[in-house]
Amino acid sequence: MSAPKLNVSDVATLARLALTKEETEKFTAQLGQVLAHMEALAKIPTENVPEVHPPDHPVLRKDVPSPSLPVEIALSNAPAQANDLIVVPKIVE
Amino acid sequence: MSLAHETVASLRRRLAKKEIKSRDIVTDLLKEIDAREKTIHAYTQVDRESALKAADLADVSLPLGGIPIALKDNLNATGDPCTCSSKILEGYKAPYDATAVARLRQAGAVFLGRTNMDEFAMGSSTENSALGVTRNPWDSSRIPGGSSGGSAAAVAGRIALAALGSDTGGSIRQPAALCGCVGLKPTYGRISRYGLVAFASSLDQIGPLTRTVEDSALLLSSLAGHDPRDNTTDPRPPETFLSKPTNSVKGLKVGLPKEYFIPGMDGETEQAVRAAADWLQKNGAEIKEVSLPLTPSAIAVYYILATAEASANLARFDGVRYGRRAADPRDVLDLYQRTREEGFGPEVKRRIILGTFVLSAGYTDAYYRKAQKVRGLIRQDFEKAFQGCDLLLTPTSPEPAFKLGERTQDPLKMYLADVFTISVNLAGTCGISLPCGFTQSNLPIGLQLIGPRFGEEKMLQAAHTYEQSHDFWKRMPPL
Repeated sequence: MSAPKLNVSDVATLARLALTKEETEKFTAQLGQVLAHMEALAKIPTENVPEVHPPDHPVLRKDVPSPSLPVEIALSNAPAQANDLIVVPKIVE
Repeated sequence: MSLAHETVASLRRRLAKKEIKSRDIVTDLLKEIDAREKTIHAYTQVDRESALKAADLADVSLPLGGIPIALKDNLNATGDPCTCSSKILEGYKAPYDATAVARLRQAGAVFLGRTNMDEFAMGSSTENSALGVTRNPWDSSRIPGGSSGGSAAAVAGRIALAALGSDTGGSIRQPAALCGCVGLKPTYGRISRYGLVAFASSLDQIGPLTRTVEDSALLLSSLAGHDPRDNTTDPRPPETFLSKPTNSVKGLKVGLPKEYFIPGMDGETEQAVRAAADWLQKNGAEIKEVSLPLTPSAIAVYYILATAEASANLARFDGVRYGRRAADPRDVLDLYQRTREEGFGPEVKRRIILGTFVLSAGYTDAYYRKAQKVRGLIRQDFEKAFQGCDLLLTPTSPEPAFKLGERTQDPLKMYLADVFTISVNLAGTCGISLPCGFTQSNLPIGLQLIGPRFGEEKMLQAAHTYEQSHDFWKRMPPL
């Protein structure tokens, strides 16, 4: 595994981040260094090693309805709202 | 003496005997805050009126009745802001209590205020806060560590008795070491994380920062236990920690991992930590060298897994349901992108980019899955080490507090500050940092004891015994 060229603007689009030109250049250099540091992992043999996904005990709970936040409180932090709904820009033409 | 200089345990006893009132403690703490908070800047908010009011209503028969506690600003407490020291959560008010907060409330605690942190807990110096830097009470030109730097500086600076922090890669233990207080990272699954703003969910754990190990155990006893709202919490019944101190380390098997004593580490730190190991040996513990061979890979594993999880967890901050929203968005994509561009600071953006990259098509196997497997090997290293010993002893940080601004332009160097704490999160075990000495320039040095999963009791016993036989915890910062 040789260090891949990280295309910061493409990844920023995937991450829904608008970056300035300066940020893009800076992150490209800084994260290039960080990725180079990560290259060492490729040399560690990991055949037949299971991945770790904690915790070790079962995490699913019974699907039982229980009270949740009242609508008014749940919406109290919404930047824009009307009729108990959150207002967002139009997504369908 | 101001009550702000006492411990939680001693104040509990005095409250129970009715020698003092909770209001007296809050009043003394507020006086200390007035005197020193301007320099330290440990708090993002001090709850003067509500703390005094809660103090007057406190039931001192409860386990933490009338004891003021500060909360890291990433824990939801009903009606209070929860900024995560980020501009993106401007104006947000928590609509509910985190379970840890609710448990402290039930135990009678009084909330004193909210403490500063690296934005979204991403950092090792608290310099990544959008609300200003926090300064180390031992030397105001130095960082307090991070990300729970506000909590550590408040406790060490005598402007809080105890505080909650969160630890994803060392964010409780490293600032505790650098500020000279006690920081406990419990086993993954010990304390519910419901209502803690998530950073990396497979690693995050809430824990106390206190002046003594006894205080740490007191808080842990109230915080621990299963929570149906966080099913990663372990189902075992609640325990009371350190209820009968043994005050002995006789027969304790303590491992010194050779990879934690590395060339280039600070000489005074190494000396102080080795002296602690010698003390344990003189008092009947068996000290042996052990190996955790994958230690040098832990930073790389951590910064792949933690950023991957963060990139997913922070997707919720999109300007739709809460927090900041960019003005006059063109369309929904513009709303997301500009809200996040304006709201997040540089380190958070950097980590979102890295995390998105290691999860992107074509790179997942080489980075994310590879790191998960190496994490498995790191965990096996710890399990092997604990077959031959009860605890591991290491430095918490390779060096004492560094200067403000020294590393802000070099993220990789900043990441390396966590080299001794990160593996504990990856392995899911518990660790505690406590003072074990001072440098010649009077900066605190921290010792880390690491226990196996759910091995807090033995770890706290050993830490308490060591602490009470030394005076390091009593030393006052000059501020």
